[in-house]
Amino acid sequence: MPDQRRVYLDHSATTPVDRRVVVAMMPYLSGKFGNASSVHFFGQEARAAVDRARREVAALIAAKQNEIIFLSGGTEANNLAIRGLCEAALPHGRHIITSGIEHPSVAGSCDLLEKRGWEVTRLPVYDNGIVRLDDVRSAIRPDTVLITVMLANNEIGTIQPVKEIGALVHEKRATGHRQLWLHTDAVQAAGRIPLNVDELGCDLLSLSAHKFYAPKGAGALYVRRGVRLASQNVGGHQERERRAGTENVAGIVAFGAAAKLAREELDQRTTQNSQLRDRFEAGVIERINDIVMNGDRVKRLSHLSNISFRFIEGEGLLINLDLQGVAVSTGSACSSGTLEPSPVIRALGRDDELARGSIRFSFGQENTEHDVDYAIDVLSQAVEKLRALSPLNKAPHQESVGTAP
Amino acid sequence: MPYSATFKDHLINPRNAGDLADANASAEESNPVCGDRLRLSLRVTDERIEVARFLAYGCPPTLVCGSVMTELIQGKTTAEANRLTRADLLNAIGGLPSRKQHAAALAIETLRSALGQVNSKQ
Repeated sequence: MPDQRRVYLDHSATTPVDRRVVVAMMPYLSGKFGNASSVHFFGQEARAAVDRARREVAALIAAKQNEIIFLSGGTEANNLAIRGLCEAALPHGRHIITSGIEHPSVAGSCDLLEKRGWEVTRLPVYDNGIVRLDDVRSAIRPDTVLITVMLANNEIGTIQPVKEIGALVHEKRATGHRQLWLHTDAVQAAGRIPLNVDELGCDLLSLSAHKFYAPKGAGALYVRRGVRLASQNVGGHQERERRAGTENVAGIVAFGAAAKLAREELDQRTTQNSQLRDRFEAGVIERINDIVMNGDRVKRLSHLSNISFRFIEGEGLLINLDLQGVAVSTGSACSSGTLEPSPVIRALGRDDELARGSIRFSFGQENTEHDVDYAIDVLSQAVEKLRALSPLNKAPHQESVGTAP
Repeated sequence: MPYSATFKDHLINPRNAGDLADANASAEESNPVCGDRLRLSLRVTDERIEVARFLAYGCPPTLVCGSVMTELIQGKTTAEANRLTRADLLNAIGGLPSRKQHAAALAIETLRSALGQVNSKQ
């Protein structure tokens, strides 16, 4: 279908690489190909480029450049942060606090440690998709070594009270709980909200380049000075002995360029994204009944909308949209290859039907108002068609739009 | 395994969707594990399925199995329809990935259950 219109509304999955980022990285794929660990000219050229990128990534989160470890992406950053810190902190305790809506790389790292003898407290998020500070406070035990709570959720975009948790951690440390550390997965938040590691009060923070217009394969872990980590990759001295393996120089250069752009253009991007998102949500509410908006309406990222459509299942909707050129993602179990629908939507207290019928729309720089209007048209037609097929859609069935389950 | 052209066609343009006001046999079955649901309504005259209609909730294979199955059984005798197997249905769809084949099982189960009503009424 050469004339098929394509509208990409899945920027929380990945983003297209910004042209300016491509220009910045290209020389490091061919002419400037050195290994950043080599002593000769080629190596030093690559090393200088990696260091420049490190300064830009550090600036994005207001950190110092020697606190940035480059690695392959968000999943590796989360694994290194959680497993690396818990291994190093082992003599001090075996208790971890996390939330029930973390990315699988955080949840999976906690599950793994649990199997190895750590205890894990998973905090609830309530119907707005946000962790409560009081729950964090009462979960802290003398043997708690790590609190890991994401900054913004990947499915519903809700922004968690990491800054408040950071203040709590500092308060605990000041009163004698010296070995208590805070990690936050900022993969979805980076490039979308301002980040400052001192204001957040976190000790570890995960980043992924491809979520803000750089290519896949580069990420970073911020490690506050003085935090001990057990390396999870051994066999090389790279990244101050914390992540063995030849640096992905071109990817890191791109990461640095994208971080600079994200910092400089943050306000403009936020405004553009939220205008598109608000236009989309207004159109959907006007045209489609029996929907539930998922996640807090205010404390959320500006580019993302997660909506459950009653009576229908997400993958059917996703494929119908895809065949009309609109790309989204769903919390339906079918798509993920599991039997359980989205744990994030379930954690909001929604029933299985709403979890199965949830769709994430995430907007980005290249989207236009025309894209949004086209998506609304295609979506309302597809929902109507699938509802006409659904045995759950028993008339008369009028339900108002709302945020409650 | 990508979905076949037949699959996509039925997903975009489902055949025989709906309920039958004058059905003389109908059944609604669900998969308790994943929650998929299929409703089949039949109008049977002289042991022949004159009209078949379906409603479905669930993943795309469930919707498509409902649509394809109504095409396969419409005009058939109840005895012929009773001989329809999961393999026949999968074949008509152009195959399904193994983890989606439960959709065909649900469709055949719903068909048997509806046909059981026809037999018990006669």
